[in-house]
Amino acid sequence: MSPSVALLALLVACSGDTASPSAPSTAPPATRELTLGAYTTPREAYGTAILPAFAAAWKAKTGQTVTFQESYQGSGSQARAIVEGFEADVAALSLDPDIATIEKAGLITHDWRAGANAGIVSRSVVVIAVRPGNPKGIKDWADLARDDIEVLTPNVRTSGGAMWNVAAIWGAATRGKAGGPTDVASAEALLAGILGNVKVMDKGARESMVTFETGVGDAAITYENEVIVAKQQGKAMDYVVPTSTILIENPVAVIDANVDAHGTRDLAEGFVAFLATPEAQAAYAKHGLRPVDPAAAPTDLPAVTDLFTVRDLGGWASVQETLFAKDGAYDRALAKAQAGK
Amino acid sequence: MSAPAPSAAPARRVALSDHAVALLLRGGFGAYVTVLVALPLLTLVYRGLADGPAAAWAAITAPAAVAALKLSIGTGLVAALVNGLAGTAIAWVLVRWDLPGRRLLSALVDLPLAIPTLVAGILLLALFGPQTPIGGALAEHDLAVAYARPGIVLALLFVTLPFVVRAVEPVLHELDPAEEEAATTLGAGRWLTFRHVLLPPLLPAVAAGTVQVFARSVAEFGSLAAVSGNIPFQTLTAPVYILGEVEGGSPGSAAAVSLVLLAVALALQPLSHALARAAGSRRG
Repeated sequence: MSPSVALLALLVACSGDTASPSAPSTAPPATRELTLGAYTTPREAYGTAILPAFAAAWKAKTGQTVTFQESYQGSGSQARAIVEGFEADVAALSLDPDIATIEKAGLITHDWRAGANAGIVSRSVVVIAVRPGNPKGIKDWADLARDDIEVLTPNVRTSGGAMWNVAAIWGAATRGKAGGPTDVASAEALLAGILGNVKVMDKGARESMVTFETGVGDAAITYENEVIVAKQQGKAMDYVVPTSTILIENPVAVIDANVDAHGTRDLAEGFVAFLATPEAQAAYAKHGLRPVDPAAAPTDLPAVTDLFTVRDLGGWASVQETLFAKDGAYDRALAKAQAGK
Repeated sequence: MSAPAPSAAPARRVALSDHAVALLLRGGFGAYVTVLVALPLLTLVYRGLADGPAAAWAAITAPAAVAALKLSIGTGLVAALVNGLAGTAIAWVLVRWDLPGRRLLSALVDLPLAIPTLVAGILLLALFGPQTPIGGALAEHDLAVAYARPGIVLALLFVTLPFVVRAVEPVLHELDPAEEEAATTLGAGRWLTFRHVLLPPLLPAVAAGTVQVFARSVAEFGSLAAVSGNIPFQTLTAPVYILGEVEGGSPGSAAAVSLVLLAVALALQPLSHALARAAGSRRG
């Protein structure tokens, strides 16, 4: 559908030009297109609420009709697709390092972290999805290392969500809030215990939830909003908020190279600015995300006893080095989990 | 004197243009194969070794990579062995037995090639997933299929079923049952007949089909990404491991591990040819 819409837009634009040759050629066309490259979990929030709301707001402001090209895939995959030539005007990804990947490729040239809310548009927390009524009595991270528990979490090499999951467990343990000592070896042991119970490592957070919905596993480590969306769609599951977990912060950035090539900078920047409005923040909230704007925050999401951010763990650069580098804590825990089999 | 000359000239022209056409065709096909296969493979070699041989070696010998390669090669060997035998037997049934519904069976054999392998994986999960009656019963007896190694082999068997059948079938069609009858008449038992009359002409086809099964198995992605669980050291196969390396920002490591798969596939070609030659000489 989208390519034909694009073609139609092109035709409309062309016919408009030929019909009124006296019109200045610099006038923006009546129909404009914005390409959004996003990660998977806010699909419903963007597709059903935020994009239509922005189109209406933009129409009211400028009289132009906005059409969208939307792409949703794992955050890391999306970042790589954009680096390799997918011409998204705006990237809405799961985590800072994935935007940084695009930045390092030279496609983002402005300081995107200097924007409203430091470039962050939505938040969530890492939680544990469980079967309805929590039959296995899972209360906290340590329970996921029990012998009788099967766990789902995606592959950290392909999924931003999986990185948040591991960072949440690691942070909880090293902060002494996961029931054990705070040293690195104990944190690694907890991680190894949980990884040893992982039954399926899917490619992305959404695929992992789909596997959970088919009945595999006792618990799935995931974004809180994934569980809320699943429940909104009538899927039977509950979730447990661990005593200590990480605040997920999802960044958005305009991709300079692409908006300059498409002539869509004003539109893309208008869109990113719109994401900070109460209207967009309320839409994120409606789809289970925790907004960055507290005024739009729903009150029924459970509070977290010890909520920490990636900055509390030393920032992404440090987390990637200690946790996710080759032979980092994650790889060591995985090897330990294997040895324990 | 003058009469043959005009007729000779056109003949030579025809010969020349035939030659030119042949050259063009050869060049065209050569270019086609070069662009389609050789260039991507050269790119793979280049990218695999771009960070230096030491980095490539480190990528290949990383414990998780070794485990993934072992798993892919091991399950590929099992699939090749089973489908080598089963495929030959199915071809035999299709050619020699006048079964009702033979055509349906023949059509079924090709079906795995027609559906996306990811769908094959999802179908296997729908049948053998832990929540299904069959899968649940199997899991209770510690025989889990889904998200375990048996599931990997099952998916490979499904995806590669047609290869040996379709390689062996035409050879069986050409074999004259009269030869076997003659051998029997001359007093050869079933085993001798099989060993000396049937096996030699069949073996090259069986070997070629089996090598195809193996090559396809070590490269299989879609069905295994769904059915295998993808746990490093346990159920993570090499192609899915490679995907992780690509997406995790290590394209060099991905290319290096891919080179190992490529080398395995290349090494098998001479093996298949040697088997064919051995069979041929035994026949003579």
